[in-house]
Amino acid sequence: MAFAPQNLKSVQTTFLALTAVVFFIALSAADVDAQKRFSRTYPAGQNVRLELTNRTGTVTVEGWNRQEVQIAAYLEAPAANIEPQNLSGTIYMNLVRDNQGRTDVGNVNFTIKVPFTSVVNIETKIGNLSVSNVRGSLVRAHISSEGDITLTNIGASSVSAQNGIGDIFYDGEIQSGGNYRFSSIRGSINLRIPFTASFKLVATAPSTRSINLGPFSGGNMRLVGDGRRIAGQNGTGEAALNVMNQRGTIAFIRR
Amino acid sequence: MECGDCQEFLSEYLDGETDIAVSTAIDAHLSVCLECKTLFDDFAVILGNCRTADQKEVCPPNPNALWCRINNVIEAETTEKADEPVEPRGWFVRGRKFTYSQIGSAVLAVALISSLLTVVAVRNYFEPTGDDNLTRSSETQTTFEKVLSSVGLIDSPEDARKKRVAEQYAVIDYWNKRIQSRRQQWDARMRDAFDRNLREIDSAVHEHMITLEQDPDDELSGEMLDSALNEKMNLLREFSEL
Repeated sequence: MAFAPQNLKSVQTTFLALTAVVFFIALSAADVDAQKRFSRTYPAGQNVRLELTNRTGTVTVEGWNRQEVQIAAYLEAPAANIEPQNLSGTIYMNLVRDNQGRTDVGNVNFTIKVPFTSVVNIETKIGNLSVSNVRGSLVRAHISSEGDITLTNIGASSVSAQNGIGDIFYDGEIQSGGNYRFSSIRGSINLRIPFTASFKLVATAPSTRSINLGPFSGGNMRLVGDGRRIAGQNGTGEAALNVMNQRGTIAFIRR
Repeated sequence: MECGDCQEFLSEYLDGETDIAVSTAIDAHLSVCLECKTLFDDFAVILGNCRTADQKEVCPPNPNALWCRINNVIEAETTEKADEPVEPRGWFVRGRKFTYSQIGSAVLAVALISSLLTVVAVRNYFEPTGDDNLTRSSETQTTFEKVLSSVGLIDSPEDARKKRVAEQYAVIDYWNKRIQSRRQQWDARMRDAFDRNLREIDSAVHEHMITLEQDPDDELSGEMLDSALNEKMNLLREFSEL
């Protein structure tokens, strides 16, 4: 079978076009396979509580002015199982439990929106955690190994941030009678708190001895253990602020 | 005559001491009352026996001598009892004699010991021994605590720390075994992250150990060591879930 030159060119063009179409279809199919999306919305009261235990991946929690909790997650392949439970005003998600026995589980990257007044308790084995605009009674972020913790615009009376290797940044209030605890193995802990905050401080950085009190230096602060710890109080010392960084630095910034 | 009247005069009647009128009335009553007649007969037999009994059976040969012997025996027993020491009653004082000064000392000792024990109990209640002694040094021990630790009632801070570290290492060994069986299933990223964190914690532990070897009284290093070992336990435990 013979093709005229014009017909041959037309066949070549068609072939190229088909190849391109097949390539893009295959690419988008691969993308769909690599990342699945999970979303769920729950109606919530003022005192809703979010309890999330992730395996690996990032978790971002944001407070918003709606009485509902919106959970969105991107699941990298192999996709993890997620089975949220809503029990008595508490939303539970435990990906460690839900994927027990599985050896191949991809990252799960959450973006969760909660009412401003929510209680937030999030954990992960590896990955960054971020919480912002939350004013509930408790904000807790815990990373078993590596990852940064970023807590911004927090108005909770009880705050706990703990990681292994990674930075911790806190930007929020220090409420009277509150309890604030920040702990890391290696990284930088930076705390941005109001100058007028009233707290008792124990800040320990035994390895680096790098504790920068910034605007809170002087006054009733004293060095302990050759500068490995600074203890004292700011104002009347109504809140308890405990900061420990085994092999990293600690710094305070005025809010 | 009634039975009561008859029985009242019965003894005199038997002795022949009643007048004729009463004797007549009694005779008349006894003839019609079987109960009083029986009683009368019994009395009569008893009185008859008494009158006819052998005098030897009634009186001892020498009553005065017999009485003297009995009296001597009674007096001798009474004297022996008086000579014996009086055994005190109650388990605590049985066989013991205490002077006032001894009793006073004992009371003081009991008061002192109970006060000390109360203080120790209160301190232990408000400050758990594990964290307390672990993060303290002998320099900050009170005299009272030093006395208690020297007599072995409480651990010295160094002993408490060693004990606590040994316990923590036992727990770490347990979790380590679990981790060894699990880590083969982790992906490379997970293994690397775990190992990096473990190395950091081990470095911190090593630093604190060295500081404590040089200065066992360094409270801060004791506290940091405790914290680092806790971090290690937590890391192992949390990764053993995977």
